[in-house]
Amino acid sequence: MKPRKLTLVEWDQHYEELVAAGLHEPAYGGRLSRHLALEGDLRLRQLRFDNSPAALRLWNFLLTENQRLGEARASGERIVGTMKDLGTVPVMVYALSGLRAFYPDGAWWTPCLMECSDGLLRQAEAAGIDASFCPVRAMLAAFQNQEHFPIPDLLVCSTGSVCDDFSAISQRLERMGFPITWWEMPRRRAPEAHEAACPLPGGLTAPQCQVDCVREELGRIAELLGQLAGQALTSELLAEGIRQANQVRRRLGELRQTVYSCVGAPLPALEMLVAEMLAIHFCSDRAQALQVLTDLLEEAVARTKLDQFVIGEAATRIYWVNPVADLRAMNLLEDWGGRICGSDYMFTHALDPIPEDLPPLEALARTALADPMVGSTQDRARRIVADCRACNAEAVVVSRIPGASHSAWEGASLRSIISRELDLPTIELEIPSVCDAMLPTLAGRIQALIETSRARRAAVST
Amino acid sequence: MELFHASPWVPVEWIKAHGLEPRGLWYADELNLGPTRSSAGTCAFAQAVVRFAETHPEKPVLLTTHCDQLRRGFDTLADSVPGRAFLLNLPTAWQSPVAERLYDCELDRLSRFLVALGGYLPTAEALGKTIDAYARARGALLAQAEICPARGYAEAIARFHWEGPPASMTEECAAPDSVVRLALVGGPLPRAQWHLIEVIEKAGARVVLNGTEAGERSLWTGGSVEHQANPDADSVSSMRLWLARNYVRNCMDMFQRPNTRLYAWLKERLAARAIQGIVLWHYVACDLWRAEAQSLREAFGLPLLLLDAGDAPQASARDNGRVEAFVESLR
Repeated sequence: MKPRKLTLVEWDQHYEELVAAGLHEPAYGGRLSRHLALEGDLRLRQLRFDNSPAALRLWNFLLTENQRLGEARASGERIVGTMKDLGTVPVMVYALSGLRAFYPDGAWWTPCLMECSDGLLRQAEAAGIDASFCPVRAMLAAFQNQEHFPIPDLLVCSTGSVCDDFSAISQRLERMGFPITWWEMPRRRAPEAHEAACPLPGGLTAPQCQVDCVREELGRIAELLGQLAGQALTSELLAEGIRQANQVRRRLGELRQTVYSCVGAPLPALEMLVAEMLAIHFCSDRAQALQVLTDLLEEAVARTKLDQFVIGEAATRIYWVNPVADLRAMNLLEDWGGRICGSDYMFTHALDPIPEDLPPLEALARTALADPMVGSTQDRARRIVADCRACNAEAVVVSRIPGASHSAWEGASLRSIISRELDLPTIELEIPSVCDAMLPTLAGRIQALIETSRARRAAVST
Repeated sequence: MELFHASPWVPVEWIKAHGLEPRGLWYADELNLGPTRSSAGTCAFAQAVVRFAETHPEKPVLLTTHCDQLRRGFDTLADSVPGRAFLLNLPTAWQSPVAERLYDCELDRLSRFLVALGGYLPTAEALGKTIDAYARARGALLAQAEICPARGYAEAIARFHWEGPPASMTEECAAPDSVVRLALVGGPLPRAQWHLIEVIEKAGARVVLNGTEAGERSLWTGGSVEHQANPDADSVSSMRLWLARNYVRNCMDMFQRPNTRLYAWLKERLAARAIQGIVLWHYVACDLWRAEAQSLREAFGLPLLLLDAGDAPQASARDNGRVEAFVESLR
């Protein structure tokens, strides 16, 4: 089966063929089109999906999260909402049996998936959070109407050096009657000469005093989780939780390496974006997340061996910064002649293995502090520059998140540092939750970037 | 030497005791709120602070982490003013046991920055006197809160944040009678924007509570350092810890999580001063304040006017009209 991208309608037909050929699926499997029919995921009509069974499983896993959470609740599991948390507290939650971590921030994609028919953004506006805020405001309305996910038994949220949008929205959420346990995340800084320096994953360092504070905060959360689970979160349990989380991270690392380093793209950008997201919260099921990634990796490896690519080697190699509010943007990038060769979707620290040779809370604290969004723009840019060099990027797209407080300052700074260090064509653009109305603008900017890159490639080759 | 800052939660006593003059930028003539940066979504106040640092590289600045705009604005300064800019980490989760320790660590680090700028380590005696002088000045200003005209009071507090103690009033303390009593609540209200108070007064109202960033709520009173129950009360490190504890315990701002302390502070004063309406002053792109409009309405049941502070030096005709209509509707 040659790799190619299919429409939703084409996938239904393809699905019949796969089933007839003996397709084996997990419980959440089935036709992709049912998500449109049953849940109103209208955006699926506009997307193009990879034709592999591995991609089918990925999509079904993503799009059944709320049902799976409901089933978990019905079976007696307790749900922990881990807000503004890119991969730290979920590791702790899954170390305890009977608990399931859920990432409410993920509701920011609901208006995209439902093409705003969900009314969440409008409802958020009625609750005082208008379009000047990032699309994560959809989460507020989803809590309010309780139609999109079960309300967690416990809500924990990091605060401090986090984006103002989320901080403000989560505070509004608390005022609307959803109690939140806050934990402090200091703004990461470099250790000064007299201070004990602590190495962090990703080649970063922080003063030990900051690591100590974060470790203490996580210890406080660990106690709460233990109370909820009726079982203390011991070092042994947490160490095992870290080991399991690292399996997911390593599998994702292999997948990224396989796909992004290949001359062509064995898997499309859209599926890779969704796959990367699994690292931060496992899409509410750690074991299945690992299986989903394993299938994707096997597919990518098999295609690579056969020199079968969904995007050919002529495509411009683009490094993408920040996640897109509209999933369709990833399809469009490929339609216009690009491919993703590397990414910083705001959680590069969740791609690095958590140290296993340290006391587990210390290891988690160090990993949390390595979050690119809690440090300086320069730190983030350094990693992007190194990644771009490693993956032979030909161009960089800094994708702004509409309304996001960090994007306004950070985008221009990142673009400036990247241009200075790499001499790569770099553009900044903004992707709203449904980008159709902006297609001419987006096309113009991305195609110009690609043309510039192609001209440079041609000049080098001659 | 002067050290310029833009948060009332910066430990000015600590700076002063190191021999530097803390200058709250709200009073600075050179704080230019005009537009320059093209990037949409940046706050005009944060831009002005960053621009001040960029255009006065000889003047050291201290920014705080309490909002994304200033935190990321600091990042743009790192290369342009090396060694002259300091980012102070303000803890937000004030109920957490680590908050005071984080703040105390920052004071220790700030001390080294101040010494590197030419300051000196304070003695316990000098630090104690400085702390007490600031406490007295805050107390004196607080005592005037309900009887001073709003414009003069804003100026007095801003002058205190600029010059330090003793606090002085620039006008005779006799507030005009007025029918409508308003609270002005929100983010920074620098000197260039005090015209807002005049606009409100011309419309026939009186600001009886200034709850903007460097307004009345910035005048925390933690008692005298002499009264701390600590056997080593006379050591600098003990006083530093006292200072850290007091800043964390008395800070009340919208960025805190939860921000219940500010709501409690407002609730008490809104009732005691028989306030009829709230003017919420916030900068375009300031998520922290904008998101509170609805919560403030729900919490206090008072009419609320949301005013966007842009980069214009004067109140727009639209703002004038909105304020007039708001006041009229409350008469």
